[in-house]
Amino acid sequence: MNRPKTGLLVASLVLAVVALWALAPGLFTAHDPIAGVPAEKLQAPSARHLFGTDAVGRDLFARVVHGSVHSLSGAFVAVAVGLLLGTLLGLLAGSAGGPVDDAVMRFVDVLLSVPGLLLALTVIILLGPGTVNVAIAVGTGSVAAFARLARSEVVRVRRTDYVEAAFGSGGRYPVVLWRHVLPNSLGPVIALTALQFGMAILAISTLGFLGYGAEPPTPEWGLLIAEGRNYLATSWWLTTLPGAVVVAVVLAAGRISRSIGRSTA
Amino acid sequence: MARYLLRRTAQAAFVLWAAFTVAYVLLQLLPGDSILIKFQNPELGLSPRQIQEIRAYYGGDVSPLESYATTLLGFLRGGFGYSIDTGTPVVERLAEALPATAVLAGSGFLLAVLIAVVIAFAAGHSRTSWIRGALLAVPSLFVSVPVFWLGILLIQVFSFRLGLVPVIGGSALQQLVLPVLTLAVPIAAPIAQVLARSIDRVQAQAFVPVVAAKGASRWWILWRHVARNAALPALTVAGVTFGELIAGSVVTETVFGRNGIGRLTEQAVNAQDTPVMLAVVVLAAAVFVLVNFAVDVLFPVLDPRLRAVTG
Amino acid sequence: MPPFTKGSPMSRSRLRFAAASAATLAVAGLLGACGGTGPAADSSTGKAKAAGQPVYGGTLTYLEHQPPTCLYLPAAGFYPNGGILNQITDKLTWQNPETLKIEPWIATKWEIDKDATEYTFHLRDGVTFSDGTPLDAEAVAANFDVYGLGDEKLKLPVAEFVNNYERSEVVDPLTVRFHFTKPSPGFLQGTSVIGAGLVSKKTIALPYEEQCRLRNIVGSGPFTVKNQVVDKEVDLAVRKDYDWAPPSSGHQGRAYLDEIKIIVTPEDNVRVGALVSGQADFVRYVQAYDEATVKNAGFTVYAEPTRGVNNGLYLRPGNSILKDRGVRKALQAGTNAKEIVETLFTSGYPVATSVLSRLAQGYTDLSKELAYDPDRAATLLDEAGWTRGPDGVREKDGRKLRLGVFVAGPQPLSKQTLELVGQQWARIGVKLEIRPADAGTQAVDIKDAEKTAVAHSMVGRADQDVIKSHFHSQNRDVILSDDEKLDRLLEEESAEPDVTERNAKVAEIQRYVVDQGYAIPLFEEPQVYGGAPYVHGVAFEAVARPSFYSVWKSERE
Repeated sequence: MNRPKTGLLVASLVLAVVALWALAPGLFTAHDPIAGVPAEKLQAPSARHLFGTDAVGRDLFARVVHGSVHSLSGAFVAVAVGLLLGTLLGLLAGSAGGPVDDAVMRFVDVLLSVPGLLLALTVIILLGPGTVNVAIAVGTGSVAAFARLARSEVVRVRRTDYVEAAFGSGGRYPVVLWRHVLPNSLGPVIALTALQFGMAILAISTLGFLGYGAEPPTPEWGLLIAEGRNYLATSWWLTTLPGAVVVAVVLAAGRISRSIGRSTA
Repeated sequence: MARYLLRRTAQAAFVLWAAFTVAYVLLQLLPGDSILIKFQNPELGLSPRQIQEIRAYYGGDVSPLESYATTLLGFLRGGFGYSIDTGTPVVERLAEALPATAVLAGSGFLLAVLIAVVIAFAAGHSRTSWIRGALLAVPSLFVSVPVFWLGILLIQVFSFRLGLVPVIGGSALQQLVLPVLTLAVPIAAPIAQVLARSIDRVQAQAFVPVVAAKGASRWWILWRHVARNAALPALTVAGVTFGELIAGSVVTETVFGRNGIGRLTEQAVNAQDTPVMLAVVVLAAAVFVLVNFAVDVLFPVLDPRLRAVTG
Repeated sequence: MPPFTKGSPMSRSRLRFAAASAATLAVAGLLGACGGTGPAADSSTGKAKAAGQPVYGGTLTYLEHQPPTCLYLPAAGFYPNGGILNQITDKLTWQNPETLKIEPWIATKWEIDKDATEYTFHLRDGVTFSDGTPLDAEAVAANFDVYGLGDEKLKLPVAEFVNNYERSEVVDPLTVRFHFTKPSPGFLQGTSVIGAGLVSKKTIALPYEEQCRLRNIVGSGPFTVKNQVVDKEVDLAVRKDYDWAPPSSGHQGRAYLDEIKIIVTPEDNVRVGALVSGQADFVRYVQAYDEATVKNAGFTVYAEPTRGVNNGLYLRPGNSILKDRGVRKALQAGTNAKEIVETLFTSGYPVATSVLSRLAQGYTDLSKELAYDPDRAATLLDEAGWTRGPDGVREKDGRKLRLGVFVAGPQPLSKQTLELVGQQWARIGVKLEIRPADAGTQAVDIKDAEKTAVAHSMVGRADQDVIKSHFHSQNRDVILSDDEKLDRLLEEESAEPDVTERNAKVAEIQRYVVDQGYAIPLFEEPQVYGGAPYVHGVAFEAVARPSFYSVWKSERE
């Protein structure tokens, strides 16, 4: 059983490094992420520029490091919005049942039935561009998914013998909910959270791809990938390296959350 | 059962109406409108009076409530009005875009389910922990790749470098290969993830070793016991994921230059082409309602414990 | 946005602009004078050009950047629209893109009275629309009655390239006369622009919505619409009985190609990749950084000049910071256009030396006045009372020197250009706030000088009036002008019948605009196309819309 632990270690390390990037970017790079040196544009990765430089001569590694704070907080906000609102709704519907369940789930249906991307685009236009606004827009789109999953889990767990037994032995509703239903429903919800964290980063980059990203010259990761794609044929590093960072972070988050999911389930 | 169906139909109608209304209100709140976007560009040199005239042409100068009522009535009669951006009837634009997206989304969804089942069961069956771990990491890997990026990469490698499938020209089938793959990968991920977790849980339950001890093969156990239990949450996610197909088709169709609902949506949002956006929302809501209706009907079939409740 | 630029959401299907855009055009073939008519043309493969006799037949696959929008003729200025309409319609006259002279086409000759209020056109005999109806005086009159007067009932707006129009008069089946309420000296050139394409009487009698649709556009051009998948693809087929190319075209009779497939492919790297891998023959909008990819593969880059107001930043005096001329002049001196071109663009994008392109009529060289001088910029800002704050951004009365600008979707690499300008301005203590554009917010805020202090734009048009289109408060009004003197100068230019006098006036205006610090010209914007080496005979009109009439394909090597 050594390998999984190694994986967990690597995953934790990745997240720790990225968290440090967000907290103290100056420790990792001396280059300016905003002001570049035009004469040094589109240079391939080298010792001087680890990730190469972009079209305006900015150091890509510096942009990735300084961008982590925007991307991580963006993804956190998005997941928090979806997780909190969604799980609350799902829990309420699943455990209350009856007309409450109906009402909540119809509301969730409405949310769900409007395509998430369309909803996100509309919310961004309403709120205006900016990392947090984009994150909220992305989060809105995932409320319904969380709610549905949470509800289906609660319904499932409620019908298991031990929860029915808990009710049967005179447990009070909130107590049973908190002690038995919630923890037992949490596993799949956390599994979804892991995916949603990655999805939030990706959704933000998709919005960047469609032209609704953070304000330039903000070095947000998704935007780096989205804009670097145009240079794929000529300067591969512009989209590949930020892409690799995102993949690593999302994988690490997934790995860690799986082990959390396993220990709580 | 008849009462149940009736109730569900009423609910479906409510969801459609609510989706329409929410979308309508949101679109009203947006800064500017399509007429402004089209004509009030200062570089066009149109006077405010001329713009007001144009707005009157399009019925854009009536009160919001009146306009809401007119639009709703139009939708009930199946008339979605004219696209302000292109001047063509919305119905026509939808009819032109729908088949391509239906084929793309349908094939993408089937492929996604196939991929998900293969991954989840292979992982569930595997005895070697690192293979299991690797397989379980695949869904995360799938979703950690941006769809547009994956699409562009597939095009670069398979079409431009290797010359295996043309993206421009080529038969309808050839044109479908890369987009379907692009669309299926991210959708397969959540289904596989939930499936795998449910398999895990059932495998951990007490009866599995007992059945196994009776000599049942692991595959048989997986199918008989696990699949049925796992199918519930997986089905829920699949229903939800159907919405992702719309988002996925926006990106996929843009990257591959395919015609369809996704492209239509993106262009309508850009131009704030309200009639088109409303129609897309109602269409998506209708598809969603239908799919979930099917899922809900399947729920009791798959889980006997629920039969008594809804039946 | 200018119709000549690659459209943004904002440039979609406009109505009147086409005139301002008033692109001249070169519909039918420009002899075999293919590949890069303009001086800025940049072709890497000379060998393909020499390839022998034209052959008939074949299909040209042309990848377009955006789908066409409303195809009502006066809306044809938008490049994706023009790219189609240029192949399926003819015009009364033809503007030679080299000399910019007006030459005969459907009109074999014409007379203009001395005060330019009466134009008489004599039409070529035997010209028919693709529905079989004759292109005669009645049809021409019906077209211009709509372009000149609009039609309230059909919701058809007036076309901007026709001014002071009163009525038409059918003298005989092949002679048509137009009467104007006031002198209209620009009308002759107006009959040659892309928006003045002639359509059948049946088409012109349709309401606006119907005229927007490609399938209803019946013209007399060398190609006809065979099939359309909205937003995706337009297939054009050759018209075998076509026999009325402009007399100055070396190639007469039917077009060489059998078919043109215009496929909308929005992704930049897919368009270029498809071209280079042989899946497409011709593409529009090759980005500067992809030019090398195209050339290295042995393909041709066509960088066609647009001959109008240069791509640049336009400063709005209505903004409470920019109302100070000193600040505007400081920004002008603090912007290094050369660095922008060298960093982001190629030789197809010459550094601007005035408000207008060197190829524009009435151009005057102001490169000295526009020289990059950051020290002078700093001095000017000091004098204006803006002093450096702790974060390096200048302040005055507790207010930061911050200016907003929208990323201009239609301009090539607008975001990168603005980011670079932002870097340059940061050095002189000015913060440029770059906002990504959503069409609705932009439509509202772009009219607000406080929110949008700076505009990034350009206009292409092969006529002196282009400068009026850009700056006059009743036209595009890019700087949201409150300058009466500027308006007066522009009106004088527009009403001046003598060419030399008019050009002198245009020069005076350029000097005035630069002196007032209204403009920071960056570069002369081309339309950049990529073509396969086996594609010959591509011609462009004066503002770079392609014509495929004389195009033919040789064997692939």
